Amino acid sequence: MRLTPCPRENEVRELLGRGQWPVAADAELRAHAASCRACGDFLLVSEAFQKARAVTAAAAKVPPPGILLWRAQLRRRSAVVERLTRPLFGAEIFALVTALVAALGFGAFEARHGMAWLTWLEKLAPAGGWSWSALLSPDQGWTWMILLPAFAALVAFGGLAVYLRSERQ
Amino acid sequence: MASSVLTNMSWEFALPGAFAGSAADAAGERVSESPMDDEAFAAFYSRSARPLWAYLARVSSDPALAEDLMQESYVRFLCAAGAPSLIANGEAAARLYLFRIGTNLLRDHWRRPRAASIEEIPEEFFAAQSRTEQTDSQIVLGPALRRMKPRERQLLWLAHAEGYSHREIAQVTGLAAASIRLLLFRARHKIAALLRNQGARMGRES
Repeated sequence: MRLTPCPRENEVRELLGRGQWPVAADAELRAHAASCRACGDFLLVSEAFQKARAVTAAAAKVPPPGILLWRAQLRRRSAVVERLTRPLFGAEIFALVTALVAALGFGAFEARHGMAWLTWLEKLAPAGGWSWSALLSPDQGWTWMILLPAFAALVAFGGLAVYLRSERQ
Repeated sequence: MASSVLTNMSWEFALPGAFAGSAADAAGERVSESPMDDEAFAAFYSRSARPLWAYLARVSSDPALAEDLMQESYVRFLCAAGAPSLIANGEAAARLYLFRIGTNLLRDHWRRPRAASIEEIPEEFFAAQSRTEQTDSQIVLGPALRRMKPRERQLLWLAHAEGYSHREIAQVTGLAAASIRLLLFRARHKIAALLRNQGARMGRES
């Protein structure tokens, strides 16, 4: 297959592009196009595609431009809102993580210091009822007293995170 | 009623012009403005929508997909920060950019797992139309196009229907201009032979 283009193809292309083929072509160029395989292919394919383009374009069902302008405007606004709220979302996540770390730190601190402040609850306990001292004793599984508040804090902050996320969406 | 409507609206839409420029500029963000005003876009759209649809429909063989991709192309064109301006760059550059977006969307569509490969999609839509609606050019070109690969259809359409140069086709498709010359030459040779055979067959049948 010869890949070198015909030197006269540009003349044919130019006339065809101006819509002047074959009227404006001289007899010699027309004779050349009839005998040259490359120019013949070019003319055959170009004319077929030009006709197909006209027919296909006429069959197109295009929506009014206002719809596209509106969609583009919405998308631009969404992009701007997304960019502006991205730091806010980061701050929300940071606040949540900080709160969780503080809650866990507080729980750990209280566990190390025996939760002495809980003794005042014993005064509120019913006679013969539950005993905080018993619960806090090492053999009674006092770790529940750490795990429960931690779990409650996790549930509360988790719910808050879900709420913030759903509100954002 | 009005208050409930307002409460259901997003806050940015309840504040007209909140992002007209000052807020976003103050935040240091660049808002991609439309490359042309509404009237200029409407005029540009009326001249370019049908050719773009024809290109997408003929290459994808799917008119519904072509409509979706055409709309998405215009929306992206309007949103793109780097889109050429109609006044500064001219309509030809804007049109080329639009065809490039459409081509990229088509490529993305073909790359999706559910879609068929670029090499496997037949040119079946236009063959499915009733014969009465077809013109001579479609009757001849349709079967020939069906036997071409989508990449070949793409190159042939851009070169022979849109009249783009190799350099412009390279800009639209992202291929190297030197590769386009070779691919286009082969594709043209192939479809010309198919068109001649089709014409000869029709001549014998008639």
